[in-house]
Amino acid sequence: MDEKTSLRYQLISAWCGPAFLVTFVFFWGFLGHNLPNPSPASSAADLTTRYLNNLGEIRLGFIVSMITVCLYLPWTAVLSAQMARIEGNFPVLSFLQLLGGGLTVMVVSFSAMFWAVAAFRPDRDPASFQLLTDMGWLCIDLQYACTTLQMVAAALAGLADKRKLPLFPRWVCYLTIWCGISFFPASLTGVLKTGPFAWNGALSYYIPYFCWLCWYSTASIYMIKEVRRRMHGADVPATSGRLAHGMGT
Amino acid sequence: MSAIAATPDAAEYSTRRLPGDQDVWIFIIAELLMFGAFFIAYIVNRAGEVDLFNASQLTLDRSFGVVNTLLLVTSSWAVVEAAAAVRGNRAALAPCYLLIAIGLGVAFIVVKFFEYSAKFEAGLSMTTNTFYMFYFCLTMIHLAHVVVGTIILIVMWTNARNGNYAAAHTKGLETGASYWHMVDLLWIFLFALLYLLR
Repeated sequence: MDEKTSLRYQLISAWCGPAFLVTFVFFWGFLGHNLPNPSPASSAADLTTRYLNNLGEIRLGFIVSMITVCLYLPWTAVLSAQMARIEGNFPVLSFLQLLGGGLTVMVVSFSAMFWAVAAFRPDRDPASFQLLTDMGWLCIDLQYACTTLQMVAAALAGLADKRKLPLFPRWVCYLTIWCGISFFPASLTGVLKTGPFAWNGALSYYIPYFCWLCWYSTASIYMIKEVRRRMHGADVPATSGRLAHGMGT
Repeated sequence: MSAIAATPDAAEYSTRRLPGDQDVWIFIIAELLMFGAFFIAYIVNRAGEVDLFNASQLTLDRSFGVVNTLLLVTSSWAVVEAAAAVRGNRAALAPCYLLIAIGLGVAFIVVKFFEYSAKFEAGLSMTTNTFYMFYFCLTMIHLAHVVVGTIILIVMWTNARNGNYAAAHTKGLETGASYWHMVDLLWIFLFALLYLLR
């Protein structure tokens, strides 16, 4: 592939980041009625009413979000390639970030899938609505560690970037690590049904998810900038010189 | 741990500066904001159930809290002494002070183990009531910070033993020390909120 085409694909992949962000918040968040999300303490009957009253929106929201969540993949791929340039011959952190990003997509996708299943047969038993709601929330809230690893890997590669114009500024890297570990309180959703650490609480839902999307937006800006720099030929070569086998040009 | 191993750049040091790696302060400030959110959540929930919180608070063993406060404050002092020793060209003393700090950090973890064991034996857990939910969640999240901080201290101790710190080379030491002081500061707030505030 010639360099111009490659750079164009890289830029499109990096712009998949903001596209994911907007579609995730709109389809998964708003249409899926996850802003605010249901309480783990609500009864099976209340949950069923919640689904039945918003059936069309919930179906559309989750079915589309299972497609758009995949915009996370090209973004993860371009970040891996950018990290591999920093790492050189053994891009362990890049691979880790790639795996973390790929699995994040599955975790988010499966949460929406459980809720889409719940909305599939509106005449089902209320206990099943409750079970599927629980499965979706615990699926996404307890399995954050692959996302945390993705973020920590990106931050560590960023901190090791000794070029004059690094991929990420150092403060972004430290913020990334912190955003990654801000998920830890979400593990408490496996036990608690009320309060700020329950799955509808500020400390297990709103703050960690906001931090995740905050990191994602900040990283997207710097990734797009990096691709643009190379498009305009103003790139500073990676210190390692050689690139990973099969990773980028 | 790249922050610990970061090379210093004497030129970027001014007379008035944040200690250690400047960029790590973003992390520390973010941590403080996060715990700030925890404390606000506690205060707001407490306002709704003052009697329950006050009654449950009496079942906590304050002596565990006091001992742990003393352990962390003393440990912070040891870290300050280690940094002062390095800056005062007495770097050989730094590993001793850091070892004291590590010992006190481990002691904090051991005390917490006994405190939790006593609570679990008494049938208390994070699902008992709102107060105990906060007590267990906040102290466990803080304990995770103590564990990470102790690991950082061990890395600092290894570096100090290998002679990696000198009067002109304190960035890594100061960075780790700043994190440890943050862990200490957070505990002082937690202790006051959970054990003392009536």
